[in-house]
Amino acid sequence: MADVTVIGQGIFLRGSIKGDGDVEIRGRVEGDVEVAGEVTIGEGALVKADVTARRITVRGAVAGNLTGEDGVRLEEGARVVGDLRGAGIGIAEGALLRGNVQTGTGGEGRTRARQQPAQARTPARVEPRKAPTLVAKTSTPGRKIAPPEERPAPPPPVVPVLKKGSRAVLRKRSR
Amino acid sequence: MASTVISQGITIEGELTTDDDVVIEGTLRGKLVSKDTVRVETGAVVEADIVASSLSVGGQITGNVTASDRVDLMPGGRLIGDVKAARLTIADGASFKGNVDMDV
Repeated sequence: MADVTVIGQGIFLRGSIKGDGDVEIRGRVEGDVEVAGEVTIGEGALVKADVTARRITVRGAVAGNLTGEDGVRLEEGARVVGDLRGAGIGIAEGALLRGNVQTGTGGEGRTRARQQPAQARTPARVEPRKAPTLVAKTSTPGRKIAPPEERPAPPPPVVPVLKKGSRAVLRKRSR
Repeated sequence: MASTVISQGITIEGELTTDDDVVIEGTLRGKLVSKDTVRVETGAVVEADIVASSLSVGGQITGNVTASDRVDLMPGGRLIGDVKAARLTIADGASFKGNVDMDV
């Protein structure tokens, strides 16, 4: 148990995890995870974060990009919305993914070579349509774009509409 | 075994909330709220306010500490900050700077 950091089931962490050791997440994490060792996202875990590690194994839910230098493995029960990047990427049956997949950055994917071509490509095709919505949801830039086209216009019409409506209601009532 | 362990070499920044016990051997910055026991082990560095039912300090804490039950400062433990707890023990060899509020 020496070097493994465990984020237990009942935990809610809002912030970042950084460092050298291995991390096992079973609870909720919102923020970035950047670890030199292995990251295991256990069953029942909910991670809203970009995860960067040497190796990533997922059995829980993740919303964020996964970057595993040596590899990323989605096991049964994994639900991932985000991009995968790593030397070898394995997606087991029963794992769900919506996002981009890119293999072969850095070293070689050894044992996972079989799985990666067939299964990795399917989500990659699906992704481009849905990726923009993800970006808009998760990042602030989406909000930044909105202000210029802003809402100064809407309020004036809204007020008269309300008045008209309320007057109409009053009239009806008085009748 | 504790449900949550922040081991050596790991730094957590942010707010940690849990119902279960927590063991800290690494670094934590921010805030920690637990309904159970929190143990800050030797070598750990905590720059955070801690709320827990009981807290034992073997490492270094900078921040205010609130415990519904007890706070134990172990030998070698360092605490800089205020303590609010029903019971407080300070072992020989521990260092502590701050106020104590024990609901007298």
